[in-house]
Amino acid sequence: MNVPRWLRWRSDAELREEIQAHLEMETQANLDRGFSPEQARVAAQRRFGNATLVSERVREADPLFSLEIILKDVRYALRSLLRVPGFALAACATLALAIGASTAIFTVTYRVLLNPLPYPDSARILMLDFGNTLGNPSGFRFISSQQYFQYLDGARSLSSLAVYETDDLTLSGRGAPERIRVSRVTPSLVSVLGVSPVVGRWFAEDEGVPGAPPVAILSYGLWISRYRGDSAILGQSVDLDGVPAQIVGVMPRSYAFPEPGINVWVPLALTRATASPGYAFTAVARLRGGATIAGARAELTRLTNDLEAVYPGNGYRAFVSTALTLIEGTVGRVSTMLWMLLASVGLLWLVACANVANLFLVRAEARQREVAMRRALGAGRGGIARLFLAESALLSVVGGAAGLMLAATATRLLVAFGPASLPRLEDVRLDAVSLLFTGALTAVTGLALGALPLLRAVWKAPSLQGGGRTNTGSRRSQHTRHVLMASQVALALILLVASGLLVRSFLRLLAVDPGFDPRSTLTLQVGLPVQYPDRERAVAFHHAVLDRIATLPGVTAVSASTCLPLSSRGFCFGNTLAVEGRPRQPGRIPRAVAQRAVASGYFEAMGMRLLRGRGLDRGDTDRREPVVVVDEAMVAAYFPGEDPIGRRIAFGYQSNNGPWRTIVGVVEDTVTIGLAELDPIAKLYLPMSTSGGPDLPASGLLGPDISVMSYVVRSSTPPLGLAPAVRRTIDSIDPTVAMARVETLQDAVDRAAEQAAFTTVLLAIAAGVALLLGLVGIYGVVSYIVSQRTGEIGVRLALGAEPGDVAAMIVRQGGMVALAGVLAGLAAAFVGGRLIASLLYDVSPRDPAVFAATAVTLFGVATLACWLPARRAARVSPVEALRAD
Amino acid sequence: MSDKDRIQLLQGTLDLLVLQTLVFGREHGHGIATNIQRSADDELLIDHGSLYPALQRLERASLISSDWGISENNRRARYYTLTRAGRRRLVTETHRWETMVRVISRVMKPREAQ
Repeated sequence: MNVPRWLRWRSDAELREEIQAHLEMETQANLDRGFSPEQARVAAQRRFGNATLVSERVREADPLFSLEIILKDVRYALRSLLRVPGFALAACATLALAIGASTAIFTVTYRVLLNPLPYPDSARILMLDFGNTLGNPSGFRFISSQQYFQYLDGARSLSSLAVYETDDLTLSGRGAPERIRVSRVTPSLVSVLGVSPVVGRWFAEDEGVPGAPPVAILSYGLWISRYRGDSAILGQSVDLDGVPAQIVGVMPRSYAFPEPGINVWVPLALTRATASPGYAFTAVARLRGGATIAGARAELTRLTNDLEAVYPGNGYRAFVSTALTLIEGTVGRVSTMLWMLLASVGLLWLVACANVANLFLVRAEARQREVAMRRALGAGRGGIARLFLAESALLSVVGGAAGLMLAATATRLLVAFGPASLPRLEDVRLDAVSLLFTGALTAVTGLALGALPLLRAVWKAPSLQGGGRTNTGSRRSQHTRHVLMASQVALALILLVASGLLVRSFLRLLAVDPGFDPRSTLTLQVGLPVQYPDRERAVAFHHAVLDRIATLPGVTAVSASTCLPLSSRGFCFGNTLAVEGRPRQPGRIPRAVAQRAVASGYFEAMGMRLLRGRGLDRGDTDRREPVVVVDEAMVAAYFPGEDPIGRRIAFGYQSNNGPWRTIVGVVEDTVTIGLAELDPIAKLYLPMSTSGGPDLPASGLLGPDISVMSYVVRSSTPPLGLAPAVRRTIDSIDPTVAMARVETLQDAVDRAAEQAAFTTVLLAIAAGVALLLGLVGIYGVVSYIVSQRTGEIGVRLALGAEPGDVAAMIVRQGGMVALAGVLAGLAAAFVGGRLIASLLYDVSPRDPAVFAATAVTLFGVATLACWLPARRAARVSPVEALRAD
Repeated sequence: MSDKDRIQLLQGTLDLLVLQTLVFGREHGHGIATNIQRSADDELLIDHGSLYPALQRLERASLISSDWGISENNRRARYYTLTRAGRRRLVTETHRWETMVRVISRVMKPREAQ
C-alpha cells in the first residue's frame, strides 16, 4: 500500500534501508581508518546511537502514527468495555435515548422554524398583518380590495403584491363530484412566490379580471389521484360548483400555498370599480430590492390611513401595518412550543450526561489501580487520557448511532401523530443538518464524559499503595458525585414542573365548556351545485334533506348552520352592527359580530342552552322573519345591562336605516376557533331563509351564503354509523350534491385540543424519562458509595451502631444532596417559568400546587433511591465486611 | 578526542547545520553527518541517528527534498538536496544565528564588548 508522504515520511523498509546504508558507510570509513572489522561495526553503531529508537522517533512524528495509536486505543477500549457489558449497555442506552430525543425534536424545530420556505429569496416575502390604534397590537391578517388597489398603486417598497382567499367548492365532470379546497389568487402570486407550474402555465394577468374565461390550476396531488397524472388534462374543462373552467396547469408536488391541502387554484378577479370595504383577503408581497420591512410597514400604514379620506368610516385611519416575513407569519404561533420542547430535550440530554458521567466516575474509581499500574510502567498522562477518552468516544459514537436510528423512528412518529395545526409538519424529515446536529452532540458528549474522570483520575496521580484497599474515596471524588447527583435532581425537577404545568393547563382546557354538547353528534358539510341558483331552491333542498334525516332511526335532532364552532374557517363571516335608535358614535367602530345562518332547531341539535327568549323555528324560516338570536358575548358588547329582547339591529354599523332585524332570544356563548379563548367572539344566528344565497352576493349586510351548510345530526346511536344513511338520504334527493368533512362534534373538540395534547404528551415523556434516569442515577451512586463504605459500616456495626442508625445515616446524606437539588431546581423553575407562560391556559407559570407536588414527589423518589441501598448496607454482617478487605 | 570532551549541540541548531552542509550540493545522511563532524573539527557530539528526525522535519517543511541515488561505494542511498525555500531559510537563519552569537558574546564578555 502506498501511503502519501505527508502521512508517512518513509515506509519501515525504506527507513531501515537508509539507516543500514548509513551504518555500512560508517563501518567502511572505520575500516579505512584501520579498525578491525568487529571494531569498525561496533564503533559505527555507537556513533549512530540507538537505531531502533531513531526509527521509532521518526515513525511517531508521522501523522499516520497517531491514527494507528487511536485505532489501538479504540480496540483496547472495546475489549475493556465488553468485559463490563452492563455498564456499556446502560451508558449506550441512556446516551442513545438522550441523543435520539434531542435529534428528533431538533429536526422538527429546524425543519418547521428555521428551514427557509421553498420559494426563491423567501426572506423577502412578506405577509401583510395589521394592528390598530384601538388596542389590538397585531394579528389582523385581512385586507379589503380597496386596500389592495391602494397598495398596488402606491407601495414603492413592494415589487409585487398578491391577495388570496380560500374556499370549498364542488368539483365535478370526469368522476364523482367531490368537495375540494380551492384558493382564489390574483395572477401576481407567481411573481411574489416565484414558483411556476410543473406542467402547463400559470394564470395570465388578463385572466384575473371579471368576465375572463374561467381557468384553473390543479395541485399535484389532485392531478395524480383524480386524473392519474394525465397531461392530456391540460386544455380540458372541469366543473367548479357547476361552472366549467379550463385546466391550464399543475403545480409542483411541494407547492402548498397558502396551506397544505389546496386542490385547485383559480384566478381572483378584482376590479377598481367594485373595490369594497369588506376585509375578505389575505395578502403576501415581495419586498423591492433595497427596501426594508420597517420601511414597508411605514409605507403601508401611511397608505392605509390615506384611504380614510377616500372611503371614510371603514376604520382605515386606525390601521397600523405589522407586516412580517412569510415564515414568521406561517410558524410564529408554534415557535414557543417548539423551542420549549427543544429546551426540554436539552435538559433531558444533560440529565443523561450527568447519569453516564456518574457511571464513568464510578468506573474510573474502580480502575485507579490499573491507572496507577500504567503510570508506574511509564505511561504518560497523555496515554492515560487517551484510555478514558477512547472509551467515552466509543460509547458516545455507539450511543449516537443508536440515537440516530431512534430519531429516524421518532421523527416519523411525530409526523404521523403530530397535530395537523402544526404548520409545515409535512416538511419534517431527517436531513443533513440533523446528521450534523447528531454528530456535534455526540462529539460534545464524548469529550465531556471522557474529560470528567481525567480531571481527577490523572492529575491526582494515584499511587499503587492505596489502590488495594476499599475506602470511602477521596473527598473530592465524593464532592463531584454529589454535585452531579444534585444536578440530576434539579434538572429532572425543572422538567417535571414544566410538564406538570402543561398537564394542569391541558386539564383546564379539556374542562372548558365549549357552549354546546359534543357528544354523539355527526356533522358533515353539504355544498349545492349550480342547479340551485337561488336562495329559495337552496332552502327547499336543505329542508327536504333535513326532514328526511330526522326520520332516520336513532336521530334525535337535526339542523344546519353555515359555520360550526371550531371549524377550520373560524370566524367565517360577520360584520359590525347598528342598533335602532342608538346614534352612531363618531370615531368609534363597534365590535364585529360573527353571523351564522341556521336551519330551525339549531340550538336543540347543538345542545346549546337558550338563556332568554326563544330559539328559531320552522315558522321563522318559512315566513322569512327578520329575527335573530344573539349570544352572551354579543349582549355584553352591545347591550350591557340592558334587555336585548325585542331590540332591533342592522348589519354594518353605518346601516342607520335598517333593514332591521329583531332580537328574539339569547343563547350561551360557544367557542369559535379554539378551546382556549379567554375572550369569546360575539355571534348571532339568523334564519337561513333571510341570509345570503347563490343569487344574493354574500355581503356583510345580508348574511352568509347558504349554498354550503354544515349539517348537525344528534343521535342516540353511534354517530359515525349514521353517515352512510345520511349519504343515501342526500342521494335520494340529488346525487350531484357533494358531501364532505364527515366527522363528529367530538372530533372537532379533540382536534382543537390536539396541539396542547401533543406538547403535553411529549413533555410528559421527557419528564418521565428524566425522572427515571435521575432515580437510576441516584440509586447507582448511593449503591456504589455503600459498597465502598462496607468496611467503615462493618466497623460501625462492630462498635455497636444499630443497623437502623447506619441506614438513616446513608439516607440522611443522600437526602441532603437531593434536597439541595430540589431547591436549586425549584429556583430555576421559578425564574424560568415565564418562558412557557404563553403555552399555559388558565394556569400560572408559578402555580404553587404544581411546584409543591413536584418537589415533594421528587424528594420522595430521591429518598427512596437512597433508602434501597441503605437498607442493604444495614444488613451487612460486620464480620464479613471486615474480612472482605 | 573522547565523547566527554565533545560539546552537546544547542537545541534546534542541528537543522541549521544540515541546511548549511547541503549548500555544497546533494548529499546522503552519512555524508551530512561526516561533513558536520569534519567542519566542527570533531569537537561536536552528535549521534548520527539524531540526524534522521531532523531530516524528516526539514523535508516535511519542504526545505529539503530527497531521492534515491548510488553512493561512492556503489550502494543505494537516499540523497538530500536543498530546495529554494531551504536556501532562503538558511540565509535568514544564518543571520539570526550571527546576531545571537554577537549578542550572547557581548553579554558574556561585557568589558571586551565596550
